[in-house]
Amino acid sequence: MQNLIQIIVDAVALGSLYALVSLSIGLVFGVMRLINFAQADYITIGAYALVVPTASVSPALLLGALPFAFMAGGVVVVVVVLALLTERLAFRPMRGSDPATLLVSSFAVSYFLQHLVMLIHSGRPKSVGIGNSLSAAVEFWGIRVPGTQLLTMGVALVMLVAMVFFLKKTPMGIQMRAAAENFQMARLMGVKANRVIATAFAISGIMAAAVSLLLVVQTGTLDIRMGLMPVIFAFFATVIGGMGSLPGAALGGFIVGFVTVGLQAFLPPDLRAFRDAFVFMLVIGFLLFRPQGLIVTSAARERV
Amino acid sequence: MSNATTTPYQSFLSRHFAVLLIAACLVFIVCLVHLFGSVMVQRVVIEALIRIVIVVGIYIFTGNSGIISFGSVTFMAIAAYATGWQTCCEMLKPITMSGLPSILRDNSYPVYVSALTSVSLAALAAFVVGLILMRLGGLAASISTLAILFILNVSYSNWETVTMGTASMVGLPTYITPWIALGAALIAVVCAWVFQNSARGILLRATRADEVAAAACGVSLYWSRLIAWTLSGAVMGLAGVLTAHFLGTVSINSYFLNLTFLALAMLVVGGMKSLSGAVVGVVVVSTIVDMFRRLEAGVSLGDTTLSLPAGTQELVLAGVMIVILMFRKDGLMGGKEFCLPKRWAVVRSESVTSERNAQ
Amino acid sequence: MNQLAENSLETRNVHVAFGGIHALSGVDITIKTGMVQGLIGPNGAGKTTLVNVLSGFQKPTRGNVVLNGKDVSGDGPQKLARAGVGRSFQAARLFQDMSVEQNLMTAAIGTGLNKADAIIRSREILDWMGLGHHGAVLGGALSYGDERRISIARALALHPKFLLLDEPASGMNAEESQNLMSIIRAIPAHFNCGVLLIEHNMEVIMGVCEHVYVVDGGRSLANGTPQEVQDNPDVRRAYLGEEDAAA
Repeated sequence: MQNLIQIIVDAVALGSLYALVSLSIGLVFGVMRLINFAQADYITIGAYALVVPTASVSPALLLGALPFAFMAGGVVVVVVVLALLTERLAFRPMRGSDPATLLVSSFAVSYFLQHLVMLIHSGRPKSVGIGNSLSAAVEFWGIRVPGTQLLTMGVALVMLVAMVFFLKKTPMGIQMRAAAENFQMARLMGVKANRVIATAFAISGIMAAAVSLLLVVQTGTLDIRMGLMPVIFAFFATVIGGMGSLPGAALGGFIVGFVTVGLQAFLPPDLRAFRDAFVFMLVIGFLLFRPQGLIVTSAARERV
Repeated sequence: MSNATTTPYQSFLSRHFAVLLIAACLVFIVCLVHLFGSVMVQRVVIEALIRIVIVVGIYIFTGNSGIISFGSVTFMAIAAYATGWQTCCEMLKPITMSGLPSILRDNSYPVYVSALTSVSLAALAAFVVGLILMRLGGLAASISTLAILFILNVSYSNWETVTMGTASMVGLPTYITPWIALGAALIAVVCAWVFQNSARGILLRATRADEVAAAACGVSLYWSRLIAWTLSGAVMGLAGVLTAHFLGTVSINSYFLNLTFLALAMLVVGGMKSLSGAVVGVVVVSTIVDMFRRLEAGVSLGDTTLSLPAGTQELVLAGVMIVILMFRKDGLMGGKEFCLPKRWAVVRSESVTSERNAQ
Repeated sequence: MNQLAENSLETRNVHVAFGGIHALSGVDITIKTGMVQGLIGPNGAGKTTLVNVLSGFQKPTRGNVVLNGKDVSGDGPQKLARAGVGRSFQAARLFQDMSVEQNLMTAAIGTGLNKADAIIRSREILDWMGLGHHGAVLGGALSYGDERRISIARALALHPKFLLLDEPASGMNAEESQNLMSIIRAIPAHFNCGVLLIEHNMEVIMGVCEHVYVVDGGRSLANGTPQEVQDNPDVRRAYLGEEDAAA
């Protein structure tokens, strides 16, 4: 029973983490038709902002030394600024290009950022002791749940609710949904492209900051590729959920998280190392039967 | 017009000018290097020729279909390991790769047999993967090629009894000379040229230009893309065999994101839409990368050595790629092939009125 | 009666609904070989949707598309193109970085010809249209008028039994329209096919069509000879606010 609860908790925690990342990807894709590889680096750089830039594997803390509120706030500021910078400098000049060009350019931007971090921090993984107290297990109703999982679920839940509120109730959010549905139409109706896109990037920055903090608390390490795997999975989550659909992206994130944890739990031990390969294969298998994803939006269809 | 006065020879020359020029340049360079080049220079040239095979291999699919493939180096890895299994480590194989089937574990094969079977394996793998992937739409297919790359990387990294996991397979026979590399590069370039001018190639390029209009012309997206993908996989397999027998080692992580990025950078900088672009991209980017590699290693000025911090070359590479994408999206060749200047016939067509008047 | 079914492309009671929007609500059209028919209607009447249904780009939510007696509803555009249904697009949609000849060759190869035969067929059609010297020009380098004629030529390269032309005359001046009309008039005989011409330009419709369908609001409104349709009070009412068709 404990085991099953543990699995479910892990699944929900990972699912919500992936959902956050998928939403960021989906949001930016919705307003710009851009699949943003650089999202991985927003996460990575947010985490690396916690330490002093050195080549050491046990670096001193920078933002990480601040009390929690300031630390979190600091990371958010760093990542949002980074996201807006990449939007302004790299992606805005390419607006309107076809999705293939945008895809390749985000790949280049990601590569650039990755190697920038490597240049400053060296490529070796580093250990960071933040939020160690949270890894202790919390017990309720006779069930023990690791604190980090609770934190992840809690943070994700709060952010998802905030996103829903933002998209449905605020003027900017409504504009963003309109733009995601049909960008040309939204512009004709007065939606300011620059502002909407910048906001989308800023939000994806906030989510990236949250994810990076959660990852650091969960794993206690910094790695230049730490953002890569969640983002790659998030790409697929967006495709599974249905490109252009924000609920679809979140749903896709949960599905990928559940499948990953499920495989981890139920694969025979000698196959567990191949877990990620299986996840990808299942994703591709799913796309064979439903290439358009789970939730189809009108944005996905080309007008003839 | 004036077409009646050109001889068949002239017509052939102008139609195939790009591939003839590329081939001639490659042959010329290899001759030079053979006669005057040091071992070091020969190695640089072999490396460049292998890169041409890689980038042309990706171009065969991406250039003609418009779908970015992030997973093409997967087939390099498949072929590299296949040739390694057949030609390497005769003594150690039963111990280090005990999971191999007996036919591989207990035998060694001549290098040319191994090359042939490895390329065929890569082509077969590409075909099977393509049967699935080509059913997906453009963007989803691109991302799925990334998945293929990861699937192979995860699998080979962990399948220790067969691939030695992340450890390198060391000791393959190194038989790649500039002439062999030249031969492979010529094969790749000619294959690409023949394909893009074939009936299938034209259909595929139409789908890249306008999927909807192509459908109205009866073009099947699936088969056009699948054929190009398989051919691309075969050429990538050739590149894998070359790399494996040039370096003498095979390691799964050298066929992953860094190589993918380098290859895509070359394709983008030169121009994705033409064979000339692919080749130009290799030459230009190789030059830039090599230049910065030397600067990182250090340039001595008198008593002092100036060197750029390690990692600069990657930043410069990414920077160049981004600049090209911003200001010259279709790359240096702009999507055009090399052609004879006089025969270039992009004429601004007259309006209907003046045609009528002329009659 | 049977002979009629043998060489016709028809929609039977076709409905198309996108969510809450009903683009077509029960339309019956029959295209026969050997003649030019017109399809007119106010903006938003569903003309392009109907063309999309006939060419396989849109599956009807209800009703059938029947080609030579066989139900082809739901067959994709590629299948219909190979079965002899050609179409042009409102926005030309030529392959920009391929030559005019290659544009036509694509369609020819699409129907199963090899490359050599495709070249012959492309040149034939270009010559017939008086565009023989445009073969090497890139699709993206054409003038507006030529672009529209080439897009028709490309559809003809399928050697279709049925040709659907979606507003080919839009944006053309009087001279270009006359030229277009003479081309369209000659198509059924030369290619042994039937043409459905969607147009707003009444002069073109009157000048080339033997029979005209009128749709409005996704429904069939009227059909008959051009003169009958022009005199139909319902049709006039539907077009209220638009220019009267010249007598």
